[in-house]
Amino acid sequence: MKKPRLGFFKYSCCAGCEFQVMYFQKHVLETLKNFEFIFARMLLRGGNPHGPFDIALVEGTITEAWQADELKKIREKSTLLFAIGSCAVDGGIPAIKSTMPELDVESKVYADITTIHSIRPHAIDAYIKVDGYIRGCPPGERDLAEALSSVLSDKKPDFINYSVCVECKLKGNVCVLVAYGMPCMGPVTNAGCGALCPSMNRACYACFGPMKQANGPALARKFKMMGLSKEDIKRRFTEFGADTLEFRRALDILED
Amino acid sequence: MTGEDIFRKFKKLIPKESFFSRLDSLAKKYRLFGPVNIKNQTAFREIHTSKELFMEYKSTMLSPGKLFIFRPKEELFRFHKNEGIKIEELPPVSEQQIIIGVHPCDTNAILYLDRTFMGIYKDPYYEARRKNTMIISLNCTNVSPNCFCSSVGSGPFLKAEKGYDMLLTDFGDRYLMEIKSKRAEELFNMKGKKAGKEEMEIKRDIENSVLEAFTKTIAVEGLDELFLRNMDHPVWQHTAEERCLSCSNCVLVCPTCFCYDLIDESSMDMKMTRRIRQLDACQDMRFAEVYGGNFRQRRAARLRQFVTHKLNQTVQYGVYGTVGCGRCITWCPTGIDLTEMAIEIRRSEKDM
Repeated sequence: MKKPRLGFFKYSCCAGCEFQVMYFQKHVLETLKNFEFIFARMLLRGGNPHGPFDIALVEGTITEAWQADELKKIREKSTLLFAIGSCAVDGGIPAIKSTMPELDVESKVYADITTIHSIRPHAIDAYIKVDGYIRGCPPGERDLAEALSSVLSDKKPDFINYSVCVECKLKGNVCVLVAYGMPCMGPVTNAGCGALCPSMNRACYACFGPMKQANGPALARKFKMMGLSKEDIKRRFTEFGADTLEFRRALDILED
Repeated sequence: MTGEDIFRKFKKLIPKESFFSRLDSLAKKYRLFGPVNIKNQTAFREIHTSKELFMEYKSTMLSPGKLFIFRPKEELFRFHKNEGIKIEELPPVSEQQIIIGVHPCDTNAILYLDRTFMGIYKDPYYEARRKNTMIISLNCTNVSPNCFCSSVGSGPFLKAEKGYDMLLTDFGDRYLMEIKSKRAEELFNMKGKKAGKEEMEIKRDIENSVLEAFTKTIAVEGLDELFLRNMDHPVWQHTAEERCLSCSNCVLVCPTCFCYDLIDESSMDMKMTRRIRQLDACQDMRFAEVYGGNFRQRRAARLRQFVTHKLNQTVQYGVYGTVGCGRCITWCPTGIDLTEMAIEIRRSEKDM
């Protein structure tokens, strides 16, 4: 069988997702053996960015116009395209800037903004259709393996779609939100991390982004009742999910 | 199970110390599980000595039946693909285990799970573990604010006669030990004062005083019909919108919720696949997904599914799906209370 041709593309992000593929512990050898890496800037010198690709993995938020143009071209040259990592899936950390006007952010960061061409940040599915979301910051191993093996077996990938609470309960962790009053984002956050923070007795900070149909406002209201300040609640809901409807809606309750 | 076996249903007063030292002597042959104190919380964990036990606990987040008999997550079998497909069975469950200090609500919950996994269809994984597990139940004398077992007949004192091995009642420095199975008779044939009429009266007095401690109650008469008449009641919508997080905590901590998902995890060369079973939850969008999506798209419909399965569906097994342990109330991050929802619906019918 011919190996699937893989392209890895990076926009505004830390490139951690691409490194996560390298550090893919249990599966790294299998991945290198089963895929032909056509383009992956962090893993491979040179490479061919023009494709075509059987599978494209895209990390990073779209924050400049040229990125959107390039992304559309990649979509057309790829049979399957997956968003990988919180930046590409939900907007992630770069989308924090969507909580304030673009010009304010630019002036805050750069002394001279004459050469800056940034646009409002969005997840990649704002520009193109994607075939699946490999969530997390860094992406969860299970979903990454699922995406890659689904390409090899030509089946629809089955991604995790429930809250972090489910993983906590499966592990038998005592709930840090209910038992110890920590402001845990677990109930509205998509699982995939294996409930890493609550297992270490820390509150989840939603690095996997919102679970589909998460009820952000209800949890924000709970945090408010627990005595968290408006600013604190806002930070929790905009750290990784500022560009998502589920978390954006949570900010509405801060107005009452 | 053990109900058919012939044994002497003896009742004895046993000093706590000798009961615990008997447990310790069993630790070599059996895996022991019991309530343990962890950072102001109690949880069922494996223990190595009876000193770790905290028998005066109120409630735990997860029930023993869904930890040690029906496992939250377990690998069922593997299959290998070369020319054909070969199924690799995993070795059958053979560990002998004892769960100590199971409250009546949780014992009743295990009897409820039996109806699902050992009814018409026998689940081999559950059945093997169930047979290898001894259940030492402990009548409950520590009522929590969210407990309502007295309303649904599953506590605070255990009324079931079989399906478990031993029933303990706290008599201060002694336990009233009631043997319910042959294997328990063999393992715990200990010296103690035979309990008679007098002790049973003391037990009844304790039960009556515990009954007075309940603050939460629910009137169960006519609940089935009440919910059927009110499938579109506004309580579903407003509770779902304002408070329900769809996080599935209620389902996962519920001792009687038995739904599970089957997941296949394959190696990348597709040669080996593991089939894994793990708990599933009706609050999850993927739960009832068929082509075109979940039948219960609305959050309110999913919340209603949970509440009515607990309080309404007596048609399924002839008993309520709830054992009144109150865990779904305690561990809901926003404190949604199914008994209050039932009260709200009942009240609105009266007002009409």
